[in-house]
Amino acid sequence: MSEKATALIIGGGIAGMEAALKLGQGGYRAVLAEKDHSLGGTVSKLCSSFPRWEDPQDLLRLKEQQLQSLETISILRDTEITGIEKKKGTFHATWKNSSGEEGALNAQAVIVATGFDLFDASIYGEYGYGIYPGVVNSLEFEQVLKDHTDGKAALPRNIAFFKCVGSRDRSKGHPYCSKICCMYTAKQAGTAKNLSPESKCYVFYMDYRAAGKEYEEFVRSVIEEKQVRYVRGRPSKVVMEKGQLLVRFEDTLIGAPMEVAVDMVVLASAVIPKPATRRLAEMLGLKTDEYGFIEAEYGSAVKAQENIFFAGGCGFAVETIGASAQGAAAAAEVMALFNKGGKP
Amino acid sequence: MMLTESPIRRLDAKAPGLAEELKRDLDIDITRCLECGKCSGGCSYAHGFDYTPRKMVQLIKLEERGKLLRMRALWTCLSCQLCLDRCPSSIDMPRILDYLRGKAYAERLNDVHPEIEKFYEIMLSDIRNNGRISETLMMARFNFATRRYFSNADLGMKLFFKGKLKLFGPKTKNLNSLRALFAKLLFRSPAEQEPS
Ligand SMILES: Cc1cc2nc3c(=O)[nH]c(=O)nc-3n(C[C@H](O)[C@H](O)[C@H](O)COP(=O)(O)OP(=O)(O)OC[C@H]3O[C@@H](n4cnc5c(N)ncnc54)[C@H](O)[C@@H]3O)c2cc1C
Ligand code: SF4
Ligand code: SF4
Ligand code: SF4
Repeated sequence: MSEKATALIIGGGIAGMEAALKLGQGGYRAVLAEKDHSLGGTVSKLCSSFPRWEDPQDLLRLKEQQLQSLETISILRDTEITGIEKKKGTFHATWKNSSGEEGALNAQAVIVATGFDLFDASIYGEYGYGIYPGVVNSLEFEQVLKDHTDGKAALPRNIAFFKCVGSRDRSKGHPYCSKICCMYTAKQAGTAKNLSPESKCYVFYMDYRAAGKEYEEFVRSVIEEKQVRYVRGRPSKVVMEKGQLLVRFEDTLIGAPMEVAVDMVVLASAVIPKPATRRLAEMLGLKTDEYGFIEAEYGSAVKAQENIFFAGGCGFAVETIGASAQGAAAAAEVMALFNKGGKP
Repeated sequence: MMLTESPIRRLDAKAPGLAEELKRDLDIDITRCLECGKCSGGCSYAHGFDYTPRKMVQLIKLEERGKLLRMRALWTCLSCQLCLDRCPSSIDMPRILDYLRGKAYAERLNDVHPEIEKFYEIMLSDIRNNGRISETLMMARFNFATRRYFSNADLGMKLFFKGKLKLFGPKTKNLNSLRALFAKLLFRSPAEQEPS
């Protein structure tokens, strides 16, 4: 393929950043389009990270520095990819930026890295999300943690964490497991205990899923060292009582209905596909699963179709390290494509 | 030598499948249960049950038919539907309990808790005679019949002064159609036999 072959990477979260980084380091041309002003997607909103308590902003700073030094990578910030079609082997994409300007660009390969959304927990009337200000979703809680760290607002004293909100629920949500919430809930509860050791944190769980390198040790350390209480049972409802949130649940180990009063409830909302991903998939004719996550071709982890690849949360829930790995894998696919047969 | 029975509960692999029966008769699939307890934490009366709804599902899985048909909760469930509404797998517990109550009647296990049976009996006869219930009279008759002359009196007085209890029960206008309804029910289902 000609030397000018360019890859368009849609979405500048950790997956898209890693794809751009690898392509640039290999000397390939790529355009990285990110809807927001800053790169990093969801990771840029996180206060701490599993499984090593690292500051996720350190990772983003490092990746961004590395990206900046690459001549073949152009980064379009505040730029949303609004349309795309393929004609005679070339992709024609349209974009729109935050000041209302529109434009078009061409590419010979596409990497979709549009990430994921969180399920709207207000569907569960019984949990009071959107009604009681003390009931927040997990991403909002990362901001609560940040505000405490920055000295803007103190952390509420006692906190209950509900897992599987909208996941593993075929009546109101989705039957699948969102994969990352067991781990980030452990992280969030552990971080809260770090910041405010006198607070009480309860994590309500059906089971905890910690299948990954250092994951089980991480959750155990949250329970044993940080003293987070794990209570087995899926909470049934949240009611207001004397200005506090009263959580009703059955402790399924002793089999008794119980309640606990807390100051904040954090809902680990299900990971769902972004509407933008569905639209792009439709325009490109990509196969998606019944929920709208992009499906891989048989035999590949990141290939959606001829010359179209994907990475990160647009394929399914994935943690940071997995999203990076997929970004790198998508970059490898593009390199193989652009360098068919090898350079002499 | 006689083998003494083990004190440890043993699963009966040959037990007739209660789960399969529910699937066949009610189209309810209890294998969908996630054992999460969401039904039980929100149940209107689980704090007074011998088995919470989640445990009832477990009893079904373990083929504990006898325990299910004899449990108090079979008769104290309020049929409020909250467990079904909250269940992530839409398991219709109130319907299952209806079904099991029918079985309990059929197997004449409905009076293993005599005071509960008495309560139903008094309530039904009130409905039959008046078309409606007078809570005050019913409570008094129930306490008398079960010889707990003063139990619930505190609660009763409170409700009375709040205007929730009326001393004389209202009557339904069209008692004849109600009698016809009872006649039809009694004719059709042996489960609803006339209280003796
Ligand atoms: C509450 C919470 C806590 C978490 N904690 C951890 C943790 O501690 N450790 C860990 O490993 N993982 C954690 N994760 C998971 C982590 O956030 C994800 O692994 C990661 O964000 C996936 O990156 P991504 O690039 O696939 O998607 P995203 O981060 O969602 O990024 C996608 C990007 O694409 C952009 N975009 C979308 N559509 C368009 C378009 N049409 N045009 C241009 N740009 C577009 C978006 O603006 C966004 O910036 C957490 C997740 C949540 C929700
Ligand atoms: S990862 Fe954990 S909290 Fe999230 S859906 Fe799966 S089991 Fe539930
Ligand atoms: S229907 Fe019965 S078991 Fe279900 S919540 Fe109501 S009282 Fe509890
Ligand atoms: S709420 Fe439904 S899935 Fe959960 S324990 Fe009860 S019956 Fe099972």
